[in-house]
Amino acid sequence: MAGQLKDREAYQRLNYLYQAAHCVLSQNPENVELSRFYSFTQKTIARRLVLRQDPSIKRTMCKKCCSLLIPGVTATVRQRRKNRKTRFTVMRCISCGQSKSLLNNPDYSLWADQPEAQLQPQKQTGPGSSGEKQHKKTKPGESVSSQSSASTQQQQSISSSSGNKD
Amino acid sequence: MEEALVRAPIPPDLRKILGVESKTSSKAEAFTRAFLKNSMQRTSKHDLDSMLSYKAVILGFTRPQKDKSKRSSKRAKGLSAKQKRKMKVFQIKPEHQRYELFLPLHELWRQYIIDLCGLKPTSSPQSVQQKLLKADFHGAIITVVRSKCPSYVGTTGILVQEFKHVFKIITKEDKLKVIPKRNSVFEVEINGFISHIYGSKFEQRASERSAKKFKVKGTIDL
Repeated sequence: MAGQLKDREAYQRLNYLYQAAHCVLSQNPENVELSRFYSFTQKTIARRLVLRQDPSIKRTMCKKCCSLLIPGVTATVRQRRKNRKTRFTVMRCISCGQSKSLLNNPDYSLWADQPEAQLQPQKQTGPGSSGEKQHKKTKPGESVSSQSSASTQQQQSISSSSGNKD
Repeated sequence: MEEALVRAPIPPDLRKILGVESKTSSKAEAFTRAFLKNSMQRTSKHDLDSMLSYKAVILGFTRPQKDKSKRSSKRAKGLSAKQKRKMKVFQIKPEHQRYELFLPLHELWRQYIIDLCGLKPTSSPQSVQQKLLKADFHGAIITVVRSKCPSYVGTTGILVQEFKHVFKIITKEDKLKVIPKRNSVFEVEINGFISHIYGSKFEQRASERSAKKFKVKGTIDL
């Protein structure tokens, strides 16, 4: 898996920059500028090569000034309540004052953690999840149970296209 | 007595349960100082003395006006170039320019490069250099080998920041030196493998280099 990865060097570089930002901060907690520079470089590399960063990494970076958010060192973390029930975790960057708030929801799971987000490499052309969605979009009234063999899928698509012509 | 309790190292049996290592005294002190500085209230707004001495203050009652622009400003927009310059976002303060602070960074870089290139005596220098072109050089120890300006030659230090036209390196004498990339040749050494970097060809931002394609042949002259 790791050998096939396309931008392996770029990912290694991003990883190194993220670690370097942590390393600089652990050496001297006041040297925010340098760690911010590394985080900024990391962000721009990811932007140029169109690489998605994991939410766990995105949540530790300030959106405004790109500095690394570490609770107690460069950020303050507070629990806030909006109504009676909804509670938020509010992270506030000390250097620029930008805050990000996340809803406390124990049932929430990231899209990347959910099982249907995992791409099956072999079934990409066949009846993948995306193909099924397209099918539903073209003909919402049709109530066909999803079948997993490729040939039936093709037949269905042909029939649906003929139905559209009529 | 309480102070001594606070400062006492974590007992070994607790260390296993918590998964926390107690820091050395110097590190702990640096952390405490930074933490206190960050968590203290800023007094610049409520600097009463200077306010009273220079200005006439109208003592009237007004309701605190609600900030109407708050709704639009809630989304992060990033900083403009002017704000960045004013905040000195990327400038390292002179008290942080110490060589020994960057030695762990160099160690980290060394691991990264060895992991990236897979340095073995059998691997061909061409393939290693292809990888080095796209690699990151923050934290490397570089030396100026040749330059049009003779006073740069021989400068050695840890590369701290890389900009479009300039390398910022920190020397053993704790000095931050700014060296232009154009018209100079740098040398990087990894485990006995010495690689030269022609600065004139390297004139891009550190982030743009990873997406850029390099020409194989080209005239190199100083």
